[in-house]
Amino acid sequence: MPVQGIRSVTAARNGVGAFILQCKRLEFHYCDWAGSSRGMLSYLKHQLPAFAKANPQIEIRVSPRPHKHPVVKGHYVNGREKAICVRNLEPEQIVKKVHLLKEASGEKLKRTKKPVTSLNESVRGIWSPYHGGLKSV
Amino acid sequence: MKRLQLQRWSSSVLSAQARTGGRLQHRLYNGIRHQSTASPAAPTANDQLIEEEPLASPIHPPNSRQSKYQLPSPPVEAARESAKLAALHARLYLPSRLPLETLARSLVDASADPNPKFNNDSLATLGHDLLTHYTTEYLLCTYPRLPLTVIFAAMYAYVGPKTLEAMAREWGVEFAAAPGGEVDPGYLQFKRMLPGTEPKPVTGTARPHEDQKHWRKSITSSVVYDNEFGDPVKGPKDPSEQSRQDTPNLKGVSAEQASATFVRAVMGAIYLHAGRPAAKRFFEQHFLSRHLNISDLFNFSQPARDLSRLCARENFEQPVARIISETGRKSRHPVFVVGIYSGQDKLGEGAGASLLEARSRAAVAALKGWYLYSPLNVRVPSSMEEEGAAPWKPVHVDLGEVIV
Amino acid sequence: MFSRTTLARALALPIEHSSARSASTTFRACLHQATSTTTTTTSQPEAPLSATPRAQTSIPIQQPRFLTSSNSIPQTRADVPLNKQPVAPTFDAPLKVSQSLLELLPNLTSQKPHFITAHLHDRPYLLTAGDQLRLPFLMPKVKSGDILRFNRASVLGSRDFTLKGGAQYLDERLFECRVRVMGFESEPLRITEKTKRRRRHVQKVTSKHRYTILRVMDVKVKTAEELLEEGAVVVESADSAANVELKA
Repeated sequence: MPVQGIRSVTAARNGVGAFILQCKRLEFHYCDWAGSSRGMLSYLKHQLPAFAKANPQIEIRVSPRPHKHPVVKGHYVNGREKAICVRNLEPEQIVKKVHLLKEASGEKLKRTKKPVTSLNESVRGIWSPYHGGLKSV
Repeated sequence: MKRLQLQRWSSSVLSAQARTGGRLQHRLYNGIRHQSTASPAAPTANDQLIEEEPLASPIHPPNSRQSKYQLPSPPVEAARESAKLAALHARLYLPSRLPLETLARSLVDASADPNPKFNNDSLATLGHDLLTHYTTEYLLCTYPRLPLTVIFAAMYAYVGPKTLEAMAREWGVEFAAAPGGEVDPGYLQFKRMLPGTEPKPVTGTARPHEDQKHWRKSITSSVVYDNEFGDPVKGPKDPSEQSRQDTPNLKGVSAEQASATFVRAVMGAIYLHAGRPAAKRFFEQHFLSRHLNISDLFNFSQPARDLSRLCARENFEQPVARIISETGRKSRHPVFVVGIYSGQDKLGEGAGASLLEARSRAAVAALKGWYLYSPLNVRVPSSMEEEGAAPWKPVHVDLGEVIV
Repeated sequence: MFSRTTLARALALPIEHSSARSASTTFRACLHQATSTTTTTTSQPEAPLSATPRAQTSIPIQQPRFLTSSNSIPQTRADVPLNKQPVAPTFDAPLKVSQSLLELLPNLTSQKPHFITAHLHDRPYLLTAGDQLRLPFLMPKVKSGDILRFNRASVLGSRDFTLKGGAQYLDERLFECRVRVMGFESEPLRITEKTKRRRRHVQKVTSKHRYTILRVMDVKVKTAEELLEEGAVVVESADSAANVELKA
């Protein structure tokens, strides 16, 4: 058999063809009694329906969590989750936090120095020291 | 153990009217998608539901708790109530003509619900045929000279079960712990394999002398007898045997298998509901846009010999390996750069720590250069199905791989 | 140059905003632009309207109109109001290509893959199709899933051929480079300790930068036929928009 095939798996490139929002679920926890949930309750009443309508690709769960501070949790396609405590925050501030969770990729925050990451091979090829003018010692 | 549906409880507690048929009707007519399963903070929605209450009472509640537990998979009506399902539909930008009920059906594996009217088996068969058809024509038209083994590997990479499983994960599909009528239809439902069970090798293929393990299987024969990935596949069964073969449903399937079936079923569902152009677009956006370096799929055993045969077949001059440059021949780490020439033309070039290694690398480079030829402006046959397509020009058909 | 309404359209937000507050701001700004004659956009701090980033990212709006027939705004999305839709690129002269460029361009277009050195806020990014780009700033007025088009590039190339703009950028009608906004990320919180001499106090300065993640959808060099179809004019080599070079 002259040549064998090596089995592999194609690598995902989200956004090249289809785009899939990485945030798949947002959970809103609140407390009916405690004062730190006041902004959250107002957010749930007034802003959340519009947000849910504008982002149908995110599943939204609202559930009470008595005697605890209000929390917004984002669950991501990669299996990770991000939780933000929104105690004593105004509804406008919660809007910003929810937007942050929605736009995040779910990856752990990393410091990168290179702006471009690529799966492709170098277009021009890799420089070789053995080509071109070799200097003999 | 079955997954406890906490939000279902809470929703039924918080708005008792919410689970009647009236809400279902309301949604069907208005097309409003409530995503939050429990929304105590939306008083307007609750008010609407209360107003509808007298309307709803004559309708038989379709999903009473008792009947749900007896079903093997979620009832059809539950699809409109699932926030997960609606979110998945929107996340994939599925066409609105594809109803949520079909998407829910594509999430039910045959191991969960053996009834072919409610599982995704038929959709998956259609989707699998579409996927392999589109991938094959893309590969054959784009790389007409690929050897068959590499085509098998590339098919596996594009639409193989491992890739489809990864795609289902990237779409945000979650697995139900166990299938059942009370489970949210947004979960992928299948019966899991028992831990420790090995997937058995496929027996009962159509290949003659299947039991002779040591006989050589040619690649050409796998076109006839094997599936599109070069794996053995079960042959056509007699209808009399069919009834006896229904037992595998009890055994369960692996998560990889179930996810792959789901992705194929989505493809089939799109084709059925939204038509061929939508299915093709879905394929291009989700499958072809993934990254695969085809030149990594080759595994040559004797590249120099193959290249010599290739040159003989194509009436090129016999390939000759020549050193282009070298350094440190007497040192511990010599590097030789060897080029393979056919007459005046350089076919390939490679660097290695010994002359033989460099030569075989150069031969591999030359062979890959030959096999990975790709014509300009490739069109696939299925592009003729579009309206107003330009007249078809025959694509390049190659002699085939080198036979040694 | 261009009419007031064009300016108002160009400066209006091309993207839907969820909150009602920003929508009202836009509306006010539009009215303001349409009626007043002297004030500039910089005089209103509350209006999030700055033409510069938009011109650098996707749409050239500072160039005057050339195609009077295409005065209407392209109907890309039906649900976006007319005054919020992006304006079609407008140019004051057809693209000038030299004969040598037309002769050499097929060499470049037929050799794949291509790379592009796209410039954004005067920073070069060497991109190929499918790359992920992490911009060192938070791009305003976009949301994830949006598609932008890079229109400033200095170099387009394949393995053996390069198309260079020379002193200026390449004309944006020579190529297409689209990117998709994937989302926004940030780096982990950095804490720098600052000390002064002879003082037992350590000042802790925190920074957490926000980044915009983009994905390059395609890098396409237009073929000579496409250029001529779009109305390119063949001129002497001195006025050409770009020059192709053979790599040594």
